[in-house]
Amino acid sequence: MIKISSKNIDVFYGKKQALFNINLDIEENQVTALIGPSGCGKSTFLRCLNRMNDVIDICRVKGQIMINDFDINDKSCDVVRLREKIGMVFQKPNPFPKTIYENISYGPTIHGMAQSKNEMDEIVETSLKKAALWEEVQDRLHEPGTGLSGGQQQRLCIARAISVKPEVILMDEPCSALDPIATAQIEELIDELKKDHTIIIVTHSMAQAARVSQNTGFFHLGELIEHGSTDKIFKNPENKKTQDYITGRFG
Amino acid sequence: MNKNKEQLLNKRYKAEKRFRLYGKSAIFMALLFLTIFIFKIFSTGYSAFKKTWLIVPVTFDAELMMLEQNPSKEDMKDADYYDIALKSMADLDPNANEDQENELKRMVSYFFEREIKRELLKDPSLIGKTKDVYLTASDDLDQVFKGNYPRDLPEDQRRVTDYQLKIFDQLVEQGKVESKFNLSFFTYPDSREAELAGIASSFMGSIFSILVCLMIAFPVAVLAAIYLEEFAPKNRFTDFIEVNINNLAAVPSIVFGLLGLGILLAVFQLPRSTPLVGGITLSLMTLPTIIIACRASLKAVPPSIREAALAMGASKMQTTMHHTVPLSMPGTLSGTIIGLAQALGETAPLILIGMVAFVNTIPGSPLDPAASLPVQIYIWAESAERGFVEKVSACIMVLLGFLIIMNLFAQIIRHKFEKKWS
Repeated sequence: MIKISSKNIDVFYGKKQALFNINLDIEENQVTALIGPSGCGKSTFLRCLNRMNDVIDICRVKGQIMINDFDINDKSCDVVRLREKIGMVFQKPNPFPKTIYENISYGPTIHGMAQSKNEMDEIVETSLKKAALWEEVQDRLHEPGTGLSGGQQQRLCIARAISVKPEVILMDEPCSALDPIATAQIEELIDELKKDHTIIIVTHSMAQAARVSQNTGFFHLGELIEHGSTDKIFKNPENKKTQDYITGRFG
Repeated sequence: MNKNKEQLLNKRYKAEKRFRLYGKSAIFMALLFLTIFIFKIFSTGYSAFKKTWLIVPVTFDAELMMLEQNPSKEDMKDADYYDIALKSMADLDPNANEDQENELKRMVSYFFEREIKRELLKDPSLIGKTKDVYLTASDDLDQVFKGNYPRDLPEDQRRVTDYQLKIFDQLVEQGKVESKFNLSFFTYPDSREAELAGIASSFMGSIFSILVCLMIAFPVAVLAAIYLEEFAPKNRFTDFIEVNINNLAAVPSIVFGLLGLGILLAVFQLPRSTPLVGGITLSLMTLPTIIIACRASLKAVPPSIREAALAMGASKMQTTMHHTVPLSMPGTLSGTIIGLAQALGETAPLILIGMVAFVNTIPGSPLDPAASLPVQIYIWAESAERGFVEKVSACIMVLLGFLIIMNLFAQIIRHKFEKKWS
């Protein structure tokens, strides 16, 4: 099943074009990895999917991105509703400087998802359990989220993202600031989360892409060079550049 | 080659040592000036917190007070105290002639009969009896007692006469002169008589002005800063506004005073000399300071927090109100307090809008005429009487104390509420 289908995406930062004619389909309930050297536009593409590029004044996005047969670049699309459906986890853990509980409950509160305190408690608990953080923080839900370790903070951010039950989760190099143990935990988590969510992950680590994803897209200089199943991209790439990159010859 | 390197190393060490020395001497200079300043203020001002009293036996003669038998409280309030007051002073020297009696009268403060009246109202059974009453000494004798008065000047060059000094010295010898804490400095309004002048009216005036200033400047400045920083498009026009705000912060305060005079008083006909007008004028001055502080602390909120909120589906306004603004509040508040502290010490604009008028009542609202602490300093510094010299310094001490408390408060807010983010 195709969850997200993007057609002819061009992105400009002022006069500089950052993405050239990207066509990429994302499979539902699978993990899609976006790889490529720094500055190749993979994060830019990711941020198109929940319209986070809107925040940047000089950024313009052209093209069509269909999610559930609905063009998110259309004028009638409400970004708040869109971002409720498409969560995001950032490169650096960025919990709110509030308590762990408030971090999770923020999304459900502004979207009016809980009618009572009990319901909210339940959302917080399930979200933290799904993010494999419940065991570690259940006794200190009302302590600041910024007091957690880096890996815990990132899992808190994941828990925060899934608290509003998004259909898609975008992850922008979620492990780049973490140590190998925390990275392994997050990867395990991603594998678990794909049952309920479609996941798109930008990563610099080829090994990570190979481990967690079912599909991979390779970006280079703002173009999507090749995409397909992860197996195929890593074992039998069609394009010379892809082969050079995954074998570590450049990038 | 090696020698060359050693030379370079030595040079570097020396340069570093020199630089440290410059830094230390700069700090030393700053501290020195501050110490001299504070020492000067304290050494002239501390005596204002003491007040000299003459203890004079007063006979509450009902006949002289024109009181009937068994007077009511109302009668006592309306009674004439001047004659018994005069008599009790004259009795200090039974041999005094008429001129000398007059001089005796001038040894105590101008309104000394009020102090006698207060005594009787406190204890109505005093009628017909004699009691030692504390009377405020005249400002000149106050200075004599504090040792600030040049007694060796020829008599025609000073306001205290030889006769007054003689009587005063006798009283001192008898232990009838006492120096006590000067509470009236804090509870009395301004007065032409130095011994009765207090800072209550100017203190309240300052408080009301600052409150008005805060209530106008804070909301306007914070809204302006939030809009400019978070919502306004970045273009030439907003750049132009920013430059103008920064310029506004550098405009001499007297210009704002002229603005207050020309617009608030002349056009809007607001009541002259009131903390309301003073506060509005000061708020114009404080506005740019708060805007700049608020924008700086909004800028200091990491963009990752905004992104986190936006990605959760918070609208721009929710992001700003739930996350950015609360995180910027410590900086904004301490900027506000520093702006208010500046406004508190401002004199020129207040003089222009008439807060320099002589006010001998304590204002009860921002609509009553009032002075302010710095203007009070100015008024007293202009006065010729010797008694005001120490009052000027004392008033400066109160103002400084006020400022120190405010700045301390700003520091505390900054440290206590500053949240750490990753």
